[in-house]
Amino acid sequence: MGLARNILMIIILLTLVWAIFLFASYVITATVLYTLELPGDTITSIARVVLGIIIAGAWILGWYKLTKLWLYRVLLAGRRGNHSN
Amino acid sequence: MLEAIVSGLLTFFLAPAAIILGRRLRVVGVDVHKPWRPIVPKTGGLAIILGATAGMILGAHASGFQLFIPVILSCLVAASIGLVEDLREEIDPRLKPLLLIFASLPVLVLGAYSPRPLIPFLGKTRLYRVYPVLVMASYPVICNAVNSLDVLNGSALLTSIPFLIMSSVIFYMRGDLQLLILSLIFLAAAVAMLPYNMYPARTFIGNSGSLFIGAGITSIAIMGSIEVAAIIALMPQIMNEMYVLFSIRGLKSAKNIGRRPVVVENGMLAASEDPDAPITLLRMICAGIKVDERRAVYAMALISAFAAFLGFLTHILLLGG
Repeated sequence: MGLARNILMIIILLTLVWAIFLFASYVITATVLYTLELPGDTITSIARVVLGIIIAGAWILGWYKLTKLWLYRVLLAGRRGNHSN
Repeated sequence: MLEAIVSGLLTFFLAPAAIILGRRLRVVGVDVHKPWRPIVPKTGGLAIILGATAGMILGAHASGFQLFIPVILSCLVAASIGLVEDLREEIDPRLKPLLLIFASLPVLVLGAYSPRPLIPFLGKTRLYRVYPVLVMASYPVICNAVNSLDVLNGSALLTSIPFLIMSSVIFYMRGDLQLLILSLIFLAAAVAMLPYNMYPARTFIGNSGSLFIGAGITSIAIMGSIEVAAIIALMPQIMNEMYVLFSIRGLKSAKNIGRRPVVVENGMLAASEDPDAPITLLRMICAGIKVDERRAVYAMALISAFAAFLGFLTHILLLGG
């Protein structure tokens, strides 16, 4: 049961990370679609790329923080030293 | 499909020779997760490299060089870097990502990419200047990510196979025969190596094998324009590498990390309870319980299969198939 629970919890974590990725894509889309209305110049293009990098970076950082929380607060919660198959 | 059959059969029948070669040349490693700590040749990757490369050469001969030649060159560059590590010692972990950038050069120089990746909700983008930089970055990231999951018998192969099945299904649905063949070549080689690499392993695939497969996966994602589906499908590999990088604060060799993520007790794997130990996928699987190696690998495969399913779902529902 312990292993099945851990697999399920990791799958839930992956699903959350996936959902956050889709949300981040949506945010990028909303922002980029807005800037497409603006006259195209180099600064706007660079700004779009920088924004994309910032949002992608935030996603990765959020992913890491969520995983750390998941390991210590969900997977290991109340189970330290309680080894079973 | 002959290319995939050749790839699989050659890998399967060359593996025993690769094992003998590894023993003769003393290219071996210690299987640290077993109480009896067996010495295992780490030359199994050679059979994968030869098998898949033969399949790709056949593919290039039959249906054109444009697709297969950049992939062959990229994979061989990555495999050479891995081979140096297998034969000598680990390359400086700060230098290795830089070397792996060279694996991207055949794809970039031969122009075997489309700088218009599909992004969910946004559709086709125009990343003419940024995309080549992303291609250069993707090879070190994905190759190291696949390599980082090569921790248990069969783990690198069983976690790569779901991606290869996903890409094969996507290319089949798209009706892209060349890319389907390319995916199947890698899938066949990976499946053919399983009997030798699964618990108890008769051979490791080595860094040469895992970097070769990593470069193959990256090439398939780039040349098949399934970048987003690939990122989703490879979440277990990427997060395993990312967690290690974050938790050990930088690029360090596994040998130089004092605290191990998993400890072995009477042949069973248990997660380290040291808060400073690197966070890895295996540590999460073993959190609070003891797991035998075989079941831990199946757990990794199941998680990878789920991620590949999410990748497939993203591609079908949000990227228009």
